[in-house]
Amino acid sequence: MATSDSSSSPSSPGTDFADPNPSSDPDTSSDRVQSLLESLNLSQPSDVSDGSSHTDFTADDDDAAEEEEEEVVPANGNGLEGIEASSRAENPVEMEAGEEPPSPTSSGYDGERGSSGGGASTYKADNASEGEIREASDTAEQHEAAWLPGKRHVDEDDASVSWRKRKKHFFILSNSGKPIYSRYGDEHKLAGFSATLQAIISFVENGGDRVNLVKAGKHQVVFLVKGPIYLVCISCTDETYEYLRGQLDLLYGQMILILTKSIDRCFEKNSKFDMAPLLGGTDAVFSSLVHSFSWNPATFLHAYTCLPLPYALRQATGTILQDVCASGVLFALLMCRHKVISLAGAQKASLHPDDLLLLSNFVVSSESFRTSESFSPICLPRYNPQAFLHAYVHFFDDDTYVILLTTRSEAFHHLKDCRIRIEAVLLKSNILSTVQRSVTEGGLRVEDLPVNHLLRQKPSYTSNQRQEIDVSVGTGGPFGLWHFMYRSIYLDQYVSSEFSPPVTSHRQQKSLFRAYQKLYASMHEKGLGPHKTQYRRDENYTLLCWVTPDFELYAAFDPLADKAMAIKICNQVCQRVKDVENEVFLQGASPFSW
Amino acid sequence: MATAGNKNINAKLVLLGDVGAGKSSLVLRFVKDQFVEFQESTIGAAFFSQTLAVNDATVKFEIWDTAGQERYHSLAPMYYRGAAAAVVVFDVTNQASFERAVKWVQELQAQGNANMVVALAGNKSDLLEARKVTAEEAQTYAQENGLFFMETSAKTAANVKEIFYEIARRLPRVQPTENPTGMVLPDRAMDRTVSSSCCA
Repeated sequence: MATSDSSSSPSSPGTDFADPNPSSDPDTSSDRVQSLLESLNLSQPSDVSDGSSHTDFTADDDDAAEEEEEEVVPANGNGLEGIEASSRAENPVEMEAGEEPPSPTSSGYDGERGSSGGGASTYKADNASEGEIREASDTAEQHEAAWLPGKRHVDEDDASVSWRKRKKHFFILSNSGKPIYSRYGDEHKLAGFSATLQAIISFVENGGDRVNLVKAGKHQVVFLVKGPIYLVCISCTDETYEYLRGQLDLLYGQMILILTKSIDRCFEKNSKFDMAPLLGGTDAVFSSLVHSFSWNPATFLHAYTCLPLPYALRQATGTILQDVCASGVLFALLMCRHKVISLAGAQKASLHPDDLLLLSNFVVSSESFRTSESFSPICLPRYNPQAFLHAYVHFFDDDTYVILLTTRSEAFHHLKDCRIRIEAVLLKSNILSTVQRSVTEGGLRVEDLPVNHLLRQKPSYTSNQRQEIDVSVGTGGPFGLWHFMYRSIYLDQYVSSEFSPPVTSHRQQKSLFRAYQKLYASMHEKGLGPHKTQYRRDENYTLLCWVTPDFELYAAFDPLADKAMAIKICNQVCQRVKDVENEVFLQGASPFSW
Repeated sequence: MATAGNKNINAKLVLLGDVGAGKSSLVLRFVKDQFVEFQESTIGAAFFSQTLAVNDATVKFEIWDTAGQERYHSLAPMYYRGAAAAVVVFDVTNQASFERAVKWVQELQAQGNANMVVALAGNKSDLLEARKVTAEEAQTYAQENGLFFMETSAKTAANVKEIFYEIARRLPRVQPTENPTGMVLPDRAMDRTVSSSCCA
């Protein structure tokens, strides 16, 4: 990502310690924050030597499924220790899709760490061989299947080298500094670390100010204060401040979904209240949400997506769900994984796409919903953060499930009857097998676009010739459209094309996802926007974004794509989406027409 | 309440107990004859039904497998109110889970349905090495409090069917008439849920 990307610099409404280096910032308060930040490093083992840390990294890397999700900064890159080392580390080793691993000599940092030259090349070799294996076997579907929910590395704490090397940490803590949730490591062992985070926040608050972001070299430390609950993200993933903050917002929403906002009252009664036990058994819910921050566009588009289905079938399921809602059910949702098949709501009740995201994440990531019918209190943070609703959940098969929400705690048997009625309709119209077929076949594909074949060169390689690093090989040639996302503003829905070659590996998909997310942030930047179009090119992609009052289109092309042709293709994509809108969107969904 | 008609008895049964005591494992062994070593934490409550034939009647259990997590404790009355039977489960390798079971028994007694059949299940009896609660201790407690006690193992299926059959045999055969519907009052139940569930 060497090309300019000024859009990612955050607009900071509050205190922004853009450079925490005290020598360049005479302000004493940031001096204090700096010293607090440094105290985070107190227990750093002095022997972060290449031998041990490399062993660590490769050990992690052996587990491909794990490594995919849990980004680990390679030994010589910036771990959390980078906060103090940031001024030296201009070019830490960070593996992202399509990025040539920097040679050991290109990084002055490597040299300073002594015998790292050999170690770094070992790392490169490991990675290359693994890349090839992944290239051959890793499709998006397989990846989703391989990713295991639940918290790992509970044995780690802030003294562990491996913990410090994690690229992205999330913490939830109380305003008295008690840990509530940590993405990695055991919360109880992180009490000291939480207390330090709390001290930073309180220190700035005592000055009548608010800390939003601390930048330290490659690291961003993002803070979000929600009453007595503090949320912190420490990340060196190069995501935008806006998106990281949005992720903290969703993390908070997920917590509210489980406990409601009335949790605040427990802190009013007892400021030392220990909240962590109340979230017992929900690690999988949070880790699955954090995982979705790197694959699910709903997390930044704030829109939901539907499973592609024939119009008549979606109508049929919509009708029965509306019937059910007329009988006193607040919301009725038929879902397939995180995609909507159909949904309906009681009159005047509206469901926010973020609530839908958090609800489906909660249900899909909680294994216990699959064993039987369940009845559980849940809260929709955007609908009413103070009150519980009661959710009836039933899985028809591994992927397809119904959620019925009501305000009445004694309604279980009524909801069960509703489910039986819905199931009868599904069986009669053979909808479940159509759903399974749609899951297998996938949605829109860029190959299916009616593009003039003179402009589109056929892929010039066979699969075994593909190389992960050189993404510009082959497909589409200079006019090649690789991927697109179309968001309908009126419907609060988006549709995204299936990943096609050359964006095949999980790394490449994640890299494209992050590129989109930056594009989205730069289009919606406060103060400068709203922009209408943006065309940008770097060594990985040509990205085109087009925002109108009706829709937003995000498209990724070959880096060598021609601009005029890209614009032409975007028009064709929009036409294509309009042609199939009845299959890819849920039309006239009452809960969203506000 | 157990309702009888043509010797068909519908009985609501609730499982209570600490996190990880093995409530879900017991039910899954009983209903589906399945067992997994790492059973995921239950969310809210899971509903199952299973029919048993005992000597003189057919008993259809409507089973509420409640979540042991602290945040769901305040919901328990929603499930045990109107129940004909309760199985209070503890883990024989965990003394704290036995103490938690004692608390559940006290709550059921205070709640005051004298007809409720209450079983005490000492689960994970296959883990002989790690045992912390003796059968005698639990048996004595059960006798003093009018419960019946069995040691069970969802893993080996030991005593799992037996404990549910024993409950079925002990259910009152005549429907008590003072509480014909057995429904909870909606408003009150709602209030409880909203106000108290996170501050238990």
